[in-house]
This record gives sequence, C-alpha cells and structure tokens, in this order.
Amino acid sequence: MVRKIFRSPVMLIMPSILAIGFVIIIPLIFSFYTSFTSYKLTRPDSLFNFVGLRNYERLIDNAKFWYAFGRTILFLAVVLNLELLFGLGIALLINKITWGQRTLRTIMMFPMMFSPILVGFQWKYIFNDNIGLLNNFLYLFGYESAIPWLIDKYLAMGSIMVAEIWANTSIFAILLLAGLLGIPRDPIEAARVDGCNSWQVFKNITLPFLMPFVFIALTIRSLDVGRAYDIVHIMTGGGPAMRTELLWTMIARIGYKDANMGFANAMSYVSIILSIAFTYYFFTKLVAARRDLGQQ
Amino acid sequence: MKLFKSILTVISVFSLSFSAFAVDKSFPNDKVAMWGDFSGITLDVKLIGGAPYDPLYEVMIPIWEEKTGGKVSILSKKSHFELDKEIKQDIAAGNISYCVVSNHTSFATQYGDIYRDLNGIVPGDFLAEFVPLVLEHSTVDGRLVQLPQHSDVSNLWYIKSIYEDADNKKRFKAEYGYDLAPPETLEQWKEQAIFWSDPPNFYGTQYVGKEEAITGRFYELVIAEGGALFDDEWRPTFNDEAGQRALQWFVDLYNAQAVPAGVLNYLWDETGLGFASGTVALNLDWGGWGAYFNSADSKIGGDVGLVRFPMGSGGKRGGWSGSHTYSILNGCPEENLEAAASLIWILTNHEAQMHEARGGKLPTMTRVWDDIAGEMNAEGNAFMSDLFSTFKASMAEDAFTPPLIPEWIPFSNIIFPELQAAIVGDKTVKEALDAAAKETDYLMQDAGYY
Repeated sequence: MVRKIFRSPVMLIMPSILAIGFVIIIPLIFSFYTSFTSYKLTRPDSLFNFVGLRNYERLIDNAKFWYAFGRTILFLAVVLNLELLFGLGIALLINKITWGQRTLRTIMMFPMMFSPILVGFQWKYIFNDNIGLLNNFLYLFGYESAIPWLIDKYLAMGSIMVAEIWANTSIFAILLLAGLLGIPRDPIEAARVDGCNSWQVFKNITLPFLMPFVFIALTIRSLDVGRAYDIVHIMTGGGPAMRTELLWTMIARIGYKDANMGFANAMSYVSIILSIAFTYYFFTKLVAARRDLGQQ
Repeated sequence: MKLFKSILTVISVFSLSFSAFAVDKSFPNDKVAMWGDFSGITLDVKLIGGAPYDPLYEVMIPIWEEKTGGKVSILSKKSHFELDKEIKQDIAAGNISYCVVSNHTSFATQYGDIYRDLNGIVPGDFLAEFVPLVLEHSTVDGRLVQLPQHSDVSNLWYIKSIYEDADNKKRFKAEYGYDLAPPETLEQWKEQAIFWSDPPNFYGTQYVGKEEAITGRFYELVIAEGGALFDDEWRPTFNDEAGQRALQWFVDLYNAQAVPAGVLNYLWDETGLGFASGTVALNLDWGGWGAYFNSADSKIGGDVGLVRFPMGSGGKRGGWSGSHTYSILNGCPEENLEAAASLIWILTNHEAQMHEARGGKLPTMTRVWDDIAGEMNAEGNAFMSDLFSTFKASMAEDAFTPPLIPEWIPFSNIIFPELQAAIVGDKTVKEALDAAAKETDYLMQDAGYY
C-alpha cells in the first residue's frame, strides 16, 4: 500500500495536490469551520468559541441579508443579459469589418484594462449629483434639477449596472468574436444559396454555433458578477439605506469592519449557493448546446 | 476634471501650508527631547495617509532619520477606515510585529490589548504637556495606548458676504421675523439653510451622509437635543424623543432640498470641497480645512466666517470629538522601543503641532494653543486667530468623545443605514430608530453588557 502511494504517478501529481490543498482546500475547511464559531478578527481566541448553527439560524431571520441576496440575483440577471446583448452586437459588427479589425479589437478591450476601483471612481464622478459630468451635461439642455443618480431607489442600482456593463461587455465581445471567427463558412454560404435572409442565417446557423461560447462567457461572468464588490464599494458602498447593498459588500462590511468573521463566513457559504446554481444552469445549457451541434 | 482639479488643489494647498513654514531642526521650543542614536534600526510603521496627513511625515520623518540615524519603513499608508480593516486582519493573522501605527481615540478600543502602555515609555514631563482630558480619552482600560497628534471637533463655517447683504437681511426678516445672523440654534440653522437654498446651483448646508461620519453627526445632535445614545446599562435610548428630533432635522433638510441631493454619499472631502466651491452657505466642519477655505485657491477665500456649533433644544451644542494618535504595538521588538517612542515624539511634539496648527489643525498640547494664538495675533491674521479662539472654546466647553467601547464601529454600521433610510423616506424616523435600537440591543447583549 505504502509502495503504491510512492509510485511515480502519484508522486508526480503530489505537488499539484499539495498546492491545491494549501491554496484552496485548507482555507475552505477553515472558513467553513469558522462559520460555526463566534470568531471575531480582533479576538483571535474566539476562533475556538463553537456556537453550532447559531450563525446560520440568525441568517435565516436576517431580512437585510435576503434583500441583498435578491438584489444580487437581480443585478446578475440584468447585467449578464445586457452584457450578452451588447457583447454579441459588438462582436457581430467587428466581425463584419474587413479593414482595421485588429485595431478595433484592441480599442474594444480598453475598459477591461482598467482596475474595477478606477472604473468605480470614474463612474462615481460621472454620476455625481453636484459636479458630475452627466448632470452638468443635462443642465446644458435646460434641465434644472440635480438628478441623484447614486441615491435614487432605482437609479442607484441602474448606475452601478451601467458601470459594470461598461467595464465588462468586452469580455463577452471577445469570447463571442472568437466563436464567430471559428464558424465554418460552408453552411452559411449554402444557406444563402438556398435563399435565407440575414436574420434566418443568424438565427439558424450563426447563433447555434455561438451558443457554447455564449454559455462559457455567461458562466465566467456569472461568477465574476456574483462576487461584485469593488465597483459597488467605490460608487455607493452599498448605500444609501442599503439600496445598492449586494451580498459581497454586506459580507465584507460584517467581516472586516465589524470584524465579525464567523457570521460573515456563514453568509458567504449561503451566498455560494447562488454561484453554484448559476454555474450549474449554464453548464447544463452548454452541454445541451454542444449536443445540438453534434459535439461531445 | 473639476473634481480632479479640486483634489489636486487640496493636496497642493495642504502641502504649501506646511512647506511655507520651515522647521527649526533644533526644536528650540520643545522642553523634552527624545533624540538618540538609532543607527541600524529600521522601524516598520503603518500610517494614516492622505492630503491632510502626509505633509507632516514628509517634513518630520527625514529630520528624524537624519538626526538619529534610524530608518522608517512605511509598510502601509491609507485612509483610517482602510487602515482599520488592515489592522483587524493583522490581528487575525498574528501579523502585529511592526512598531508604530496611526490610531484614533474612536477606534482604539476595538483592538484589544495589542498596544503598549506608553506610561513609562514616554517621559512623564512630555506627557504633562498634553491637555489632560485628551490624554484621558487616549487611555483604554487604564493604559495610555496612544499619543494624540491633533484633535477634531466641528464648528459652523459660513459665507460672510451673503449674511452682510442688505437685501438678504430684509428678505429674511420678512420671512422669518428675526434678524439674519449666523445661526445660534439648530432650528435657526435649518431655517437659514432652507432660506439660502436654490438647488441645484446653491445649497443652504450639507452633512456627511454615510458610515461613521453620519453616525457621529447624529450622535452630537442627540446630545444637543438633550438625549443620549445609551443609558447607564448600555441599553440603546437613541430612539426616544430627543433622538427622533435629531434625526428629523436631517430629514427636514433633505426633504426641503436644502442639502445636495447626493449628500448621503458624501464624506469629509466632498463637504470640504463643496463648501470651498462656493455652492454651500453653511458647512459644519473641523478646523483642518480653515486655511484652505480662506485661501486664494478657494472660491470663498477671504469671505469665510466661523461660529460655534449651534445649540439644540436641550441647551447643549454638538461636540463629537476625537483625536488622531500614534500607538506602539506590543509586537515591536524591545530593542526598537526607544526608537519607536522617539518617532512618535517627533510626530506629536511642540514643533510638529505648531506646524500642523498653522494649517488649522487643533493642537493637543496646552502650550501650543497659546503659542499658535500668539503667533497668529502677532502676524495680524485675524481669521486664524478667530479660528483658534472658536475651536479652543469648543474643545473646552462642548467636546465629548463617542462612547469609548469596542462596539462603537459595529454600532455605527447598524445605525447609519437606518438613518439614511429615514432621510430618503424609506422609513419614518420612528421606524428607522426603533429598528436600529432593536439590532443594537442584540449587539450589546452579545457583547455581554447585560
């Protein structure tokens, strides 16, 4: 048995197992354990104060948490759909260009190059009610009221969505453009010879070929958006009155500012359900799309 | 671009206000000197950073390095809210072996016993120079865990010319029935703010609208209205009538559009820059902005007045106060201790405090209050002279700290979203305060107060 363990294949993958163990598994086990304790960052001895399911029980009764949970789902749904729509549009347009496509592809990726913190500051300034670009632009056209973009019940969340979409639509565009460039020309040309119009070609040939790319992009971005923190933190900090509070701004505040890490970790583990659900859904769709194309 | 330009302006103004006054490296006015030969010692430090704080480090740390042979390695320099998070993570990770860290009287109680007692490390005759009450506020569980650099308390700044305008006086008297003068009560402040407002071009007043900033403002208004946040057993009482009156004041100003619409996202930079832009009539703020408000870089330079915090219906003024401080960590190696004490000495001594006071920051040494007032009088600088006499009176008569308990920041995180909910109309004042009181009750119970 011991000899088996030390056989070369096991030894060869051992560094990877150890790396994954140290980097992923041990922190996961540790944080999961702390979710059953009253662990406070400022009181290291509280790490051993086991409270059973108390944090999870309190979570079930915590309306603010469930509002944030719901808001995060809404945020995910709107942002992912709009990014997909805009990304697809941009990819289709760039795919049509025969001259300067490389330059445009590079320009398209500019927003991705900014750190989310910079994006947050940039949009915070644009949406500032007093000295912001947007309101001052509106004043030029005779609008006489300062719109509280980052305060209003609906506009605040919308403003953050705009920033998130601006920063990340190009991820969709790049992935979908890669898909478009890989589509074989024969079925498209055959469809045109058979008299299909552009919409029919797009709907029946281009889109089915693109669907695996769409679902890969959706999976990657759903994990990203589900963890949205930086942009929200900079633009509104989850406020005012928790109107833009998402799961991770709430968890970060409870974990780091209140130093209540045990409770924050319980929140994190419940929140992970959301990421797992989205990932599972998109992967199921990805497999179905590949099956439709006759791929494994 | 305008914001960026304003930020650059603030940075340059704060920097200029310091560089304009050269430091006498012999520190002739310091009765206690803590120089030493610290060659070969490198002190790891984490400091609060930003335009109001960096200039002191830029002046004093090179002098300290030159005179002692020691080196300062700044591991981290960020806003106090970010530094607070970092310290908490450091405690959790057991990474608290650096020597000197910026602290604040409102924050210090949270961190347990990670700091050294400065009694015995810092000479008694140096400690004797500080205002006793400020040292008392720097003490946690009987241990002096921090040495105060400067204090903060707020008073009401206003644009003088609009109060001197005859037409304004006439219109105001006709509308409100009393003579127009800077407000003496919270009610007058509200009425005048509404009178001045002409949104979106001009606002009557403003307030910091989120996080601990609005909690502190609410706290001082509760006191001014004759209430208290907690009773003697630490049960929440801020949802009583005094608390409701205090919150209603914020709500009324917001509903009357007497404050900018985005005020709930404002912190200190936004209110300071907003007042300096000339678009706000009345601004409650600390003295650290004073030199900038009245400078040529501000649109209201030369037109700035200052009065004490107006009184509430409880016959008291607001006076939420605290001090920016420095602490030495327990993890600082013994061999570096003398050097660490020397470093916080140079950042808090007479020379440093005079240096900061010239920009409007409030000293924590008794002697510096007199010396800075004397210097300003000798220069004929009536504005700065008035600034120090007003703030000196506030520090002596009105100032009070937030409850010096570890739960202050968690409490703040409970109450500030509820204050905001009332201000934007999501809840009534009573509903918001009751909800906050209920959660605070859990917090205090869990912390073992009752």
